[in-house]
Amino acid sequence: MKHALFILIFFACASLVPPSARSQTDNHTVRVSVAAITALQVSSGTVNLSITGADVIAGQDLMTATDETTTLLWGTNSSGKKVTVQTSLTSPTYTLKIEALSPTQGSSAGQIILSSTPRDFLLNIGRSSGSCTIRYIGEALASQGVGADAHTITFTVANQ
Amino acid sequence: MKPSFSSCTVILASGFLMLALAGERVQGQTLRILGGNVTLSITTGLAGAEPLPVQNTASRLRYRRSFTVQKITVTSNCPGQNFSLTVVATNVTAGTASPQVTLSDGMPPIDFITNIPSGFFTNATATLNYTAWATFAQGNSTELGDDVHTVTYTISAQ
Repeated sequence: MKHALFILIFFACASLVPPSARSQTDNHTVRVSVAAITALQVSSGTVNLSITGADVIAGQDLMTATDETTTLLWGTNSSGKKVTVQTSLTSPTYTLKIEALSPTQGSSAGQIILSSTPRDFLLNIGRSSGSCTIRYIGEALASQGVGADAHTITFTVANQ
Repeated sequence: MKPSFSSCTVILASGFLMLALAGERVQGQTLRILGGNVTLSITTGLAGAEPLPVQNTASRLRYRRSFTVQKITVTSNCPGQNFSLTVVATNVTAGTASPQVTLSDGMPPIDFITNIPSGFFTNATATLNYTAWATFAQGNSTELGDDVHTVTYTISAQ
């Protein structure tokens, strides 16, 4: 009888042992997956370049207008990327040039003439979030007369 | 017939034993993760900003109160970690949630829930609120692989 009593008391006491003497763990797996993400955004939807001839120099055929009011924002988590640019117009009447100014990441490809074929705009932007000012330069010759071109400009993040 | 002191002791001890055994049977473990493994997928981002963080609250902790004040710590093992993961306890039914813990490979145990009051084998629960985030500069899983954390929770006396 006494033995049974001791055994019962022992088990009862053992069950009361605080967890400090028997800390317990459990674990599980937490997987973090990050997709290849690319995001591009132009700060303004419309840019108007008006060549009015107000500052035309007599005897000079070329007239220009410049705009630097828009900004290109991007983000990409893939390496080896660049940004290209192209226009929807296959045969514009007037010349439209574009240039990336002060990119926060990567380097500008310099001033280029827009065409319907993608041209390099920004180089080496891979795995970054950044921005640059977009400079548009519209050019018209006096001999080209009066008119208007409506471009849809497309920027694309592409493999370098 | 008046029961003897020994008889009372035996009855009391038996009661404790049965309660303890019943507790073990019902609750199984002092600490248990419910909801299984977790996957967080970051899929969108903002131009000029960063990818959007992702949250998951599908898993819970169930833990048993004891005769002493306890706490729960968390640690993680994630070789070759590239991205960021945090966890915080929400909807805590017993104890005090610590501030958000950043999980990193090989980290020492960090307090997760503290001041769990004593109680007689009563269960408590907390939601595991995971948040994963990454910068564009940190890359993506296609090039670097997923981060796979083994997250371990431990309950012990405080």
